[in-house]
Amino acid sequence: MSSLTATTTLGRFQRWRRAKDRTARYTIGFFGVAVIGALTLMFVYLASETLPMFQGATLEPRTEYAAPGGADTRTIHLAVNRHREMAVRLTEDRRALFFRPYSGEIVKEQSLPIPEDAKVTTFSAAEPRTRLVAAGLDNGQVLAIEYEYNERFSPEGRLYDPALVYPLGDEDSALLDVDDDGRAISVVGVQRGSSGIRVAAATEDGDLKLVRFEKRTSMMTGETEVQRSAYDLPSLPDGATPTRILLDITGRHMLVGDDQGQLHFFDINNPARASLVDSKRVIGGDAAEVTSLEYLLGTVSIIVGGSDGTVTQYMLVRDDDNVNRITRVRDFPSHAGSIRNIQPEYIRKGFLTADDRGEVKVHYSTSQRTLIERQITDQPLHRVYVDPRNRLLIGIDDHETWHLQDLSNPHPEVSFHVLWQKVWYEGRSGGDYVWQSSSATDEFEPKFSLVPLTIGTIKAAFYAMLFATPLAIMGAIYSAYFMSRRMRSITKPSIELMEALPTVILGFLAGLWLAPFIEANLPAIASILILMPLGMLVAAFLWTRVLPENLRNLVPAGWEAAILIPVILAIGWLSVSMSPLIEVWMFGGDARQWLTNQGITYDQRNALVIGIAMGFAVIPTIYSISEDAVFNVPRHLTQGSLALGATPWQTVVRVVLLTASPGIFSAVMIGFGRAVGETMIVLMATGNSPVVNFNIFEGMRTLSANIAVEMPEAAVGSTHFRILFLAALVLFALTFAVNTVAEIVRQRLRQKYSSL
Amino acid sequence: MSDTATHAVNMTQGDRPDRGLRLSSEEICLTAEDLKLFYDKDQALKGIDIQIPKNRITAFIGPSGCGKSTFLRCFNRMNDLIDAARIEGTIRLDGDDIYEKAVDVPELRRRVGMVFQKPNPFPKSIYENVAYGLRLQGVKNRRRLDEVVEKSLKRAALWDEVKDRLHENAFGLSGGQQQRLVIARAIAIDPEVLLLDEPCSALDPLATLKIEELMIELKKDYTLVIVTHNMQQAARVSDYTAFMYMGELIEYADTDTLFTSPARKQTEDYITGRFG
Repeated sequence: MSSLTATTTLGRFQRWRRAKDRTARYTIGFFGVAVIGALTLMFVYLASETLPMFQGATLEPRTEYAAPGGADTRTIHLAVNRHREMAVRLTEDRRALFFRPYSGEIVKEQSLPIPEDAKVTTFSAAEPRTRLVAAGLDNGQVLAIEYEYNERFSPEGRLYDPALVYPLGDEDSALLDVDDDGRAISVVGVQRGSSGIRVAAATEDGDLKLVRFEKRTSMMTGETEVQRSAYDLPSLPDGATPTRILLDITGRHMLVGDDQGQLHFFDINNPARASLVDSKRVIGGDAAEVTSLEYLLGTVSIIVGGSDGTVTQYMLVRDDDNVNRITRVRDFPSHAGSIRNIQPEYIRKGFLTADDRGEVKVHYSTSQRTLIERQITDQPLHRVYVDPRNRLLIGIDDHETWHLQDLSNPHPEVSFHVLWQKVWYEGRSGGDYVWQSSSATDEFEPKFSLVPLTIGTIKAAFYAMLFATPLAIMGAIYSAYFMSRRMRSITKPSIELMEALPTVILGFLAGLWLAPFIEANLPAIASILILMPLGMLVAAFLWTRVLPENLRNLVPAGWEAAILIPVILAIGWLSVSMSPLIEVWMFGGDARQWLTNQGITYDQRNALVIGIAMGFAVIPTIYSISEDAVFNVPRHLTQGSLALGATPWQTVVRVVLLTASPGIFSAVMIGFGRAVGETMIVLMATGNSPVVNFNIFEGMRTLSANIAVEMPEAAVGSTHFRILFLAALVLFALTFAVNTVAEIVRQRLRQKYSSL
Repeated sequence: MSDTATHAVNMTQGDRPDRGLRLSSEEICLTAEDLKLFYDKDQALKGIDIQIPKNRITAFIGPSGCGKSTFLRCFNRMNDLIDAARIEGTIRLDGDDIYEKAVDVPELRRRVGMVFQKPNPFPKSIYENVAYGLRLQGVKNRRRLDEVVEKSLKRAALWDEVKDRLHENAFGLSGGQQQRLVIARAIAIDPEVLLLDEPCSALDPLATLKIEELMIELKKDYTLVIVTHNMQQAARVSDYTAFMYMGELIEYADTDTLFTSPARKQTEDYITGRFG
């Protein structure tokens, strides 16, 4: 053994010891890194699922060709099927051409059933998904037709047998008499009704007509007949000439744009007494006129495009007198040229705008985003179309050259504004924070504000902590510092055992037993809150000052807490049994009704229930950690304090709590972290209504419960799906932030107050 | 409180001759009479009688486990904190039985201060450590606190070292400084007696020297009782020394006598290093 470093001289034992040491070091290192790695991967995965939402849209040129069926006639309508394998073009010269959209190859040609001597003067489409279109003729008639792709599946793939169909029956019924005097139709609007179609039109001299065609099937004969009811509507004021007519799908509203930049709202709920309710100037400039006017999906939002290039969203909003007014909701970036066409999307609240300088923009209303601004040609565009799945954009210029572009626009609904700020949704009178991800109808506007969920999470955690923190910390101080060793050895494990209680059981009890109990015994809860501390103080006073000493000596030191058990039970029993009396005496017999009369909303499953139930779940965490912290305050410090003449209470307040503060603080933060992430209890006992308030008598919906509720029904890859991932990420970030702040504060406290 | 409760000293307590104990000339501060202490069934102190004179330093020496620290803690009832400990006999402070039911224990502990083996400053500033005892008494007057803090630190010979950093954490001080800080903290509330439980055992020789000088300085105003392992220390600083062994007081005499001509064989064996 001449040298300590020479390996040859090392004995077997030393080598073995060194090997063990190395193995331990690498193993521990590996698993430590693996934990961090797993956490990072989780974060990366969550982020990767949400990232596509913020990537915007892309538009790539695909191909260009001259209009199928000839560029010498104008396209009045174009539609592509959802697989982008079949498309239809309606032309001014009365033809319907079915063709393959990417090649322009014509599959079938049909002529529109328009009389030889009549001319198409105007054209309008109903909601894109109805495939209903209407053409106004110069003989006072309107042609209403639909088209079908009639797709079939065969082993070779999808086959199509496209055709025109007639909404009211046969080909003869497609021509509708709108103006009895046979005047030329200058503007037409069409929409499908519950059992037929509605057509509104303006004649060449500015008269407004509304005609309903209802299909009636006779019960007796099985024959179908069309019933026509025509109404004359009031004319526009100031001799304005209509330029565009919109009908909504409910049959209640009609909007008319005029050549003076104004929009007029007619209430046609009762067509015989239709009235002009509101008129509003929607385009600013003097010379500007409304060049394009379109409903978005659901026919609630109106997009107005002007000759000055402005794009603005309007809605009908009820004012204080409960009258619908045309109200500006939001503006979109203006075009340099005049707006020629607005095309709504089929299944979302998005739309496209095209101008006379060849520029196309893709917008989304709810999120107020403009995803694409692109010059697709240097010729003026007169139409822009998009397929039902928003993958193919077709711009048509004035020379009938078609510009096909591949569009990718999967998540236009999301923006920072939508997630975190007030958004003015359809049918509301102002901006608000709303979470409502789904509904029964297709034209529903999803509302993806994370504010109610975040507030709900914080609210639930706040009330749980309000209930749990004082109880847990006081209990910890008592059992660590005052309780006898034996009693502590029973109490502490019992409370820690509570942590093992499945939260689903707590949630179940809270939702099905506690919530109705509290609702029925509101005064009892209030009186327990007041009487319990008072009762304990009175009991303590009686015990120490009034009762004879030999009775007191029966209870060994450190067991005094046990005599509070009957006190607590008695006060609880007293409160509950007095509850009906108090209710009659102070709250007129029904405390819940009394609260409602005070203007306080009361839900059965509310934050009070959550505070108690979730408080119950976090008490063991806070108690256990802070009990350890208090118990581990070095004896020499407490003895030092006592030796200076401090009472036990002075010692607790001035030395013990101070020294244990880092531990107590981290106990509270860990409890808070648990309350933020807790799912089952809030899921089962809150009612899950995403409200934005801190009312203790109302429920909430938390981020975690929301994910649990909605993830199973969210379509994979949809915006909703990704927003749930975002909610998870927010939850992750929230707990991460809480824990980080907690750790930093704890370290600083420890530096300051830890004893050696 | 400190009126003259001069006790006549019985030179022969029990069968033990207290040779060399000349307490008749001293004013007695603390008295223990037949003090017994039990931990459950084990008896740790076996009937100790002692009189501790005022303004003197009395040292308890003896091998580990002889009960000297336990005995010291009887004087300010720190043994109350141990659930299993039970005491019989009496201890008088200026003639008053401190184990009387009506005794206000915090007030007793204010009058009988204690310094522990390991320096135990609170996790507070130097200033707040010294002011702690006063604040317990409800003193809030800033000027009074300043005054007392300065006076106590000066008396503990620490003022010059810490006067510029009174509001820094006490943990920044060295071990010797911490121990002097703890002494300053103890004398800030103006006790009558200062119990020191091996106050230098965790300190280096230089710091020990400072504490010893401080003790000699302090006995002008306080009665000091010190437990020590270090016989040289006992010889250097104390006026009277008690040798304890196995829970009994073997010999109690003035220090010179005890170290130069012990009356008992066990004392002699111990001080000459034959056991312990």
